[in-house]
Amino acid sequence: MIRSVPRKIATVLGSARLAIWLLMFVGAWSMLATFVPQGDSSLPEVAAWAVAHPVIESAVRLLGLHAAFSTLLFRVAVVALAAATATCAWRRTKVAIVRMRTLRTAAGADAESLTAEHDLEMTIRPSLSDADALSKAAGVLAAVGIRTRQRGTLLFSVSPGWTVWGSPVFHGGLVALILVLLLSGFLRSEGLMGVAVGDTVPDAPESYGVLESGVLRDWQNVQRSIRVDAFDTEYRTGSIDRGPVPTVSVLDGAGNVIKSQRVYPNNPLQTGSLTVHATEFGFAATLAVLDKGGVERGRAIQLIDISEETSGGTVPVEPLSLADDKGNRLVVAVTVPMERRGGELSVPQERVARVEVFAADGTPVLDEVIAPAGEIVLPTGSTLRLDELGYYARLSVVDDPAIPFLYAALAVAGMGLTLVVAARQQLVLVTVAESVDGPMLVAKLRLWRNVPTNRTEIERELAEAFQTDEGERVS
Amino acid sequence: MTTEIVLMWVALTGFVVATAMFVFGVTFAKERFVRIAVIAASLGLVPQIMALGVRWARVGHGPYIGYYEVANGLTLFVVAFFVIAAWRNPRLSAAGIAIMPVAVLLLGGAMLASKDSLPLTPNLASYWLFIHVAFANLAFAAFVASFGLGVAYVLRKRSTSGKWAQRLQKLPAQDVVEELTTRFVLAGFLFWGAMIASGAIWANQAWGRYWGWDPIETWSLIVWVIYAVYLHVRFTLGWKGERLAWFAIAAMPISLFALLGTPIVFNSIHGGYIGRADG
Ligand code: HEM
Repeated sequence: MIRSVPRKIATVLGSARLAIWLLMFVGAWSMLATFVPQGDSSLPEVAAWAVAHPVIESAVRLLGLHAAFSTLLFRVAVVALAAATATCAWRRTKVAIVRMRTLRTAAGADAESLTAEHDLEMTIRPSLSDADALSKAAGVLAAVGIRTRQRGTLLFSVSPGWTVWGSPVFHGGLVALILVLLLSGFLRSEGLMGVAVGDTVPDAPESYGVLESGVLRDWQNVQRSIRVDAFDTEYRTGSIDRGPVPTVSVLDGAGNVIKSQRVYPNNPLQTGSLTVHATEFGFAATLAVLDKGGVERGRAIQLIDISEETSGGTVPVEPLSLADDKGNRLVVAVTVPMERRGGELSVPQERVARVEVFAADGTPVLDEVIAPAGEIVLPTGSTLRLDELGYYARLSVVDDPAIPFLYAALAVAGMGLTLVVAARQQLVLVTVAESVDGPMLVAKLRLWRNVPTNRTEIERELAEAFQTDEGERVS
Repeated sequence: MTTEIVLMWVALTGFVVATAMFVFGVTFAKERFVRIAVIAASLGLVPQIMALGVRWARVGHGPYIGYYEVANGLTLFVVAFFVIAAWRNPRLSAAGIAIMPVAVLLLGGAMLASKDSLPLTPNLASYWLFIHVAFANLAFAAFVASFGLGVAYVLRKRSTSGKWAQRLQKLPAQDVVEELTTRFVLAGFLFWGAMIASGAIWANQAWGRYWGWDPIETWSLIVWVIYAVYLHVRFTLGWKGERLAWFAIAAMPISLFALLGTPIVFNSIHGGYIGRADG
């Protein structure tokens, strides 16, 4: 008989071997990936590795191991694993339902029903009363770790129905987890933005210096903006030095503050699906351009990073480009000369700005040091005024609506696995029945999980207790 | 030498004595020595806990940072987990012959490492650190227990002369040892999973991303997947016997590498707990 296609797929996906191969592939692939630098070939470490390992590099490139966790091969394996796990979660659910029914039926069993249907029989001495036989059986079972109770002439130890749900809930939780992780990749945006103290920037792609945005990330309906209110160069809570700490506010479309707080490691600003961390800080120079008549023509904020690599200790994030009255472009690079104390860079007490002006072709035009409120007259006749020299915070801004679902999936998988590990799944029913050969101990045993003994041991111990008793052995 | 270091040497000596007793007691089938070995291992925990307590009070944080502290924490859990199991079920005591050497190597390595205290960096200063490390320690202790039982299983199985079967006869029957090995793997798998999950939640708090395929994160996942494969070959393919025991034996060192080796081998944002990088 030809089987239907969905059934065939389910057979393949539900195959125990496929699951193991997929798990092994994910493990082996991840292992390889940790020995190969990850990232674009333009990255220095990726390029250096390629030069150092010319033979392996071609294979690595072919397999996509430099982007091991975003390459198609890996994604296909993960999706296949999710599909296989979903199939198995379903099967584990069916197994659990059957087991739960078996447990329910057993919970309502009595001596008669057990006599009618059982899977273990053992002839016992006729001289032994039912009560003695049962108490002896209870003793044997207790000795191997199964404590029974008695109802009439039935000894029983039946796990509650919920104990069988560990495996399906765990496998189902894993499926949910993989799906949520995929969803998170589509919905999530993660980027860095520099915001000067006192400045407010809209939460829009153009405000970010670096931005990774999932294909389903909706920027249209984001109306909020982000403001840096203050900056503590040193901040301590208790005995812990939190380092330089900005105070950040998130504002709604109408400019109302939604949330405002100091942001430092382990204390991000969280509101809705948005999380804001502070990753770095630097200086912010607010510059005004005045025309010959002293009228302000424009204003710009130049962000400046601290850098060990430059002699002055700072470097502009992006030099400003200005046009003079005649339309000539001028490039203005503002830096803040730092002090070096014992090789360490430190911010001078009196901050000043070094302003370098270049023509569009890179020719130096001016190089002056000014303090806040200081002015420089450009060769064009207009004036550059340093209005403020403060700090800026580089914020890592993440928007991921999938996070609560991620935590929920983790919690479900965790609860399932805890059940798997801790819950005993067993069914033990024992009674004494009459047969043509005399009295018999009859029992039904299902020892599925976390039982401290096994069927062989129980049979051996019962046989020993009942049959060698007073030397009378019934074969 | 400070009180802490003296106490730590005393603890190490206790564990070495316990190991020697296990070897002697098991090799010469002297049950009394095996019992003394469990007592020696338990007593060794006392100075170790005192030393860690003294250090905790001095440096202001638990044993989480730097190779010395991390290896110490792992040793504490390995020994405590084992002696609790051995007190509850004395038949398991003989597995100490494989478990205690792991503890001795770990603590011995820690004693050779720098004992300087590293400050709690702002990135590490979170209650998640405690939760994350506790689960890592618990998981490793369970994996070492499964390793010990795996070794005992193989020794008995391989002993053609029957010598080891006799020496380890106090252990439960082979099928029970196998079952217990799997139960320890399952417990370790749960704790390791909890370590990864708490780490992901914490990384989301501290760095704004729950998973970044950093080498340390990746190796923790690899270990979890390896143990998932163990559970699958056991439960779905019905693997039994020696090859299943070998699996448990081989997997444990990989978990140790993930915990202590990765921050040394790989340059990682996550290496802060060993005092590397800035994590
Ligand atoms: C993300 C991938 C997976 C992981 C991490 C995983 C993990 C586990 C674990 C820890 C166990 C032992 C505990 C229990 O009984 O539930 C287990 C058992 C099992 N798994 Fe998976 N699993 C995965 C995927 C799958 C897949 C794809 C299948 C389908 C073949 C599968 C089928 C089973 C079965 C049949 C058992 C045995 C349950 C028993 O005998 O009680 N699992 N798995």
